[in-house]
Amino acid sequence: MKIALINGSPKKKDSASGLVLENFKAFLTGDDQIITELHFYRPQITTEEVGKLMDCDALVFAFPLYVDAIPSHLLRCLRQLEWVFTALNGREILVYTIVNCGFYESQHNELAIEMMKNWSVRAGLKWGQGLAIGTGGMLNMLENIKPGQGPFKKMKKAFKQLANQILTRSSAETIYFTASFPRFLYKLGGEAGWRKAIKENGLKKKDLFLQK
Amino acid sequence: MRLILCDLESADLHRLFPQPLDENGTILIKKDGKIHNCLGCFGCWVKTPGACVIRDQYGDMGEQLAKCSELLIISQCYYGGFSPFVKNVLDRSIPYIHPYFVIRNGRMHHRRRYKNHFPLQVWFYGEDISATEKQTAKKVVEANAINYDCQIYSVSFAPGITEMEGQF
Repeated sequence: MKIALINGSPKKKDSASGLVLENFKAFLTGDDQIITELHFYRPQITTEEVGKLMDCDALVFAFPLYVDAIPSHLLRCLRQLEWVFTALNGREILVYTIVNCGFYESQHNELAIEMMKNWSVRAGLKWGQGLAIGTGGMLNMLENIKPGQGPFKKMKKAFKQLANQILTRSSAETIYFTASFPRFLYKLGGEAGWRKAIKENGLKKKDLFLQK
Repeated sequence: MRLILCDLESADLHRLFPQPLDENGTILIKKDGKIHNCLGCFGCWVKTPGACVIRDQYGDMGEQLAKCSELLIISQCYYGGFSPFVKNVLDRSIPYIHPYFVIRNGRMHHRRRYKNHFPLQVWFYGEDISATEKQTAKKVVEANAINYDCQIYSVSFAPGITEMEGQF
């Protein structure tokens, strides 16, 4: 079975989507899996990248939520792929999507997942499943804490469920994951992070409130 | 100030707006040269607060939204959302909001940077927008309205430019 893991973050490196896929990959166990990894960080896809996707059985997208939806550069890539897959017409390819957002609640990602479903229909592909991830500001902790541990205790179950759907080529309802962490602390921690970041750029805390 | 964001080509734009727009205090954001996509760097919050660090002609969308009293978006419908150009401009508009969080309608959202409120009016066009895509699009605009803290919003659909003539 050929599976494409597609990082849809515009960040060339250190993206949360990349970290999620890196951790998720370990759950796609089996002897006959061929994993192809791609990173769509630009608004167009190369012929080589298109070629790699053509003979895949499953496409697994992972991207950040931008303004309630799909980031615009990825939207352009999807449009390009829609034309390619529509012309392909025939073999059943399943689409799975992992969307992460910086808000606490994973439900914010629902609409981006719905759009990916709508894209699948347009491209003549079969919808598999979505995984909505909230508390995206904590995902950088995945470098040290593995799914199944600490605040990511429930992530292991979510990854297992999604991997199972992919490996059995089946479809299911969206899974929602939010780190096991209180919302008020997540809010406070996030705001402290912005204050630290602006100071590191030589500005003051109050500059976070600058108006043009 | 009325702000119009659209993905229309010049001829179609002229059909919908036969009178010069700048004469009645309207700012038009349209395809005009290359637009860079948002890089997810958050520089608009922590390096140049309130402005995008990419200094192309779409780098001051935060300021434009801060000055607007009415936002009209006209976009081709893509999978139940905006077209890549319109979405690109919206992605580049996050300097309008503040990185801090607030709880609105029971969920976490970003706090406002500015005090202005504007009604949001969206027109989606496309020959074959499916019923499912229309449902998604309505929910997307509602979500955008909550994020921008708009108190009034509307969503309309049209098969093409002709059907939108005389609407604005």
